[in-house]
Amino acid sequence: MKTETAPEAPAVPPAADPRPPARVLPVWANPRLGLLIVIAALVVLFSSLTPAFLDPRLTLAPLQADISVYVVVGLAQLAVLSLGHMNMAVGRMAALSTFAMGLAYDRLGVPLLVGLLLGLAVGAGIGALAGLLIAKTGVNSFVVTLALDFGLLGLVTILYTWATGGVSFAVQPSGLAALRFDTFADYCMGEVCGPRIPLVVPIAVAAALGVGLLFRHARLGREILMTGSNTVAAELSGIPTHRRVVTAHALSGLLAALAGFLLAANNGAFSANIGESFLLPSFLAPVLGGTLLAGGAVSVLGTALGATLTQVIYKGLNLLQFSLEELKLYIGLVLLAALSLDRLRAVLAERRAVSPS
Amino acid sequence: MSRRMLSRIGSGLTVVALATTTVACTKKSDNTDAETGGREPAQVKVALVPGGSHPYFQPWKDAGAKAKTELALGDVTFNETAGWDQTKQNDVLKSLAAQGYNAFGVFGVSPDNINSTFEDLKRQGFPVGSLASCPAGANKADFCLSTDVEVAAYKGAKAAIDAIGGQGNLVHLTGNKVDSNTQRRIAGVEKAVAETGGKVTLIQSVTDIDKDLQSAQRAVADLLAAKGRQIQAIVNTAYNPAVASAEGVRQSKLPIKVVAIDDDPTVLDGLRGGSVAATILQNPVGQAQVGSYALMKLSGGCTMAEAGVTIDSGSFVVTKDNLDGYEADRTAATEALRKKFDGDLLKCS
Repeated sequence: MKTETAPEAPAVPPAADPRPPARVLPVWANPRLGLLIVIAALVVLFSSLTPAFLDPRLTLAPLQADISVYVVVGLAQLAVLSLGHMNMAVGRMAALSTFAMGLAYDRLGVPLLVGLLLGLAVGAGIGALAGLLIAKTGVNSFVVTLALDFGLLGLVTILYTWATGGVSFAVQPSGLAALRFDTFADYCMGEVCGPRIPLVVPIAVAAALGVGLLFRHARLGREILMTGSNTVAAELSGIPTHRRVVTAHALSGLLAALAGFLLAANNGAFSANIGESFLLPSFLAPVLGGTLLAGGAVSVLGTALGATLTQVIYKGLNLLQFSLEELKLYIGLVLLAALSLDRLRAVLAERRAVSPS
Repeated sequence: MSRRMLSRIGSGLTVVALATTTVACTKKSDNTDAETGGREPAQVKVALVPGGSHPYFQPWKDAGAKAKTELALGDVTFNETAGWDQTKQNDVLKSLAAQGYNAFGVFGVSPDNINSTFEDLKRQGFPVGSLASCPAGANKADFCLSTDVEVAAYKGAKAAIDAIGGQGNLVHLTGNKVDSNTQRRIAGVEKAVAETGGKVTLIQSVTDIDKDLQSAQRAVADLLAAKGRQIQAIVNTAYNPAVASAEGVRQSKLPIKVVAIDDDPTVLDGLRGGSVAATILQNPVGQAQVGSYALMKLSGGCTMAEAGVTIDSGSFVVTKDNLDGYEADRTAATEALRKKFDGDLLKCS
């Protein structure tokens, strides 16, 4: 994943304190670096245990495609974690949006991009609705989006039954197969062909760059972070906090729709079960990457690394043919070990920073 | 120049570079389908991949191991880690391919979009059999070896109707409603009921209760509490509801005739004890054994006479009277299936 250019947002907006912090942590104390080291160690471990881990066609290309989906899923949750909110309906928003895309391809025969834009609009709309409910009623985002999730679960099934008589659109819009099967290695300029990176990867990179730039450089992103950090202070500073809540949830819905599209491209079908497995990874990636559940601070690069870590663990254990129970047990254990190591590194860094050396 | 300006220019250049590359590049030949065939049995590594963990598929383990020995295959593995998630199943299949497995017998999680997965595997030159369930619509695997679920459901409903003397109220318990195979099971039961000319009424088809035994037990308990005295027979077309209704009816002591499916020990005990009137047996062993055999033949260079053909792996009505002989029937059916592949279904030069 080429997300190294994705900036990481500061815990406190720089405008609040233009001077550098008093305690400067060493480079190795950066949580993103910790994740990178854990990922590198796991890649070395898995590839020494099974050389198939480095198979470019059957392992590395699908792995990159999977990571792309879960980076965007993580970003969808990150968009509302920036407020200290949660989006429990992230999977169902993806399902509803991909239904809209499938319907547009199937009934209207629209090009791939038009269907994608339509689905993104549906995702943003349903996200904005969630944000509006939260902002207007003051009900906790967990409750609102959980209720929305239940509602959408039924709605998506009803819609698919109505439109397809089953759970999936049979339509394959032009270009979907290329997104699914092709890598840049399939495209050549003379004798020079591209790297074996699936075509879906740049879409996820673009989404990560966009979200990173929003929270790092755009006023809108800063205002969302301010709202998440301290709503009252933000309100008193003249930030329209209600509108920022709606915007952040709309962004979450839009990114969930994009993740749904990427998964549909990977699976080769627009189906009702898209998004079923999004919820836990959506929290895991940002939280592993250092995004605060309390709001006010996000890390796009950390989210990308968090998603990469979980997918590398899953792929590695899968390749080692762990049984179902072992797979779950070891995914839990490896994640726990990764988090503990990260915590240990952070504690050591804190001590180093406060010691008068 | 400010950092902000730099990052904007950087993003712009990236977009332009991507767009230019995309426009200027030419694509390699689209025909990426790899060749199938030419593998000796010892080079064939078969992966049997159910949609997730379920008692129905447990016989695939031993049947696969037996096929490995009998056919001298390179390997046969059984992987049930897909967790009833199509995306995970796709991932499991790719991982198995990366480990050198080159022939796949798959029970697709989602019959509605498993064809994409089959196409994906076939593009890479792997023979694929759809086992125990056929995709919705045209089958894109080399063959589908599965119980004809509509026929099995019809047989079950007929057995239930016979057990209640051709008159009364029937309830049908089954699996995932939005699965196209469940719709075929419902059609099979409705057909048998329609043939009674109104003497038998299907008062309810309870769906979505095959996820696990607990949800099936809850649904059966609710059903018996609400309508137990109106029901004369229960016909099951899914594994967990069959076990739950066999237990539930025995415990409630209601005079309901249960027709189960498959041969869980609870069902067999019920047959012996009289609380289960009949069970419809499927042929998971035959699916795994004959499926592995066909995959080996396809790997060796044979082709299917009719691509994507659907073959009924058989279903058998078992009552107390033929309880001891059913395994022999099933073995005979498996042998007949293998001969059918050799005689009619496979074309080998």
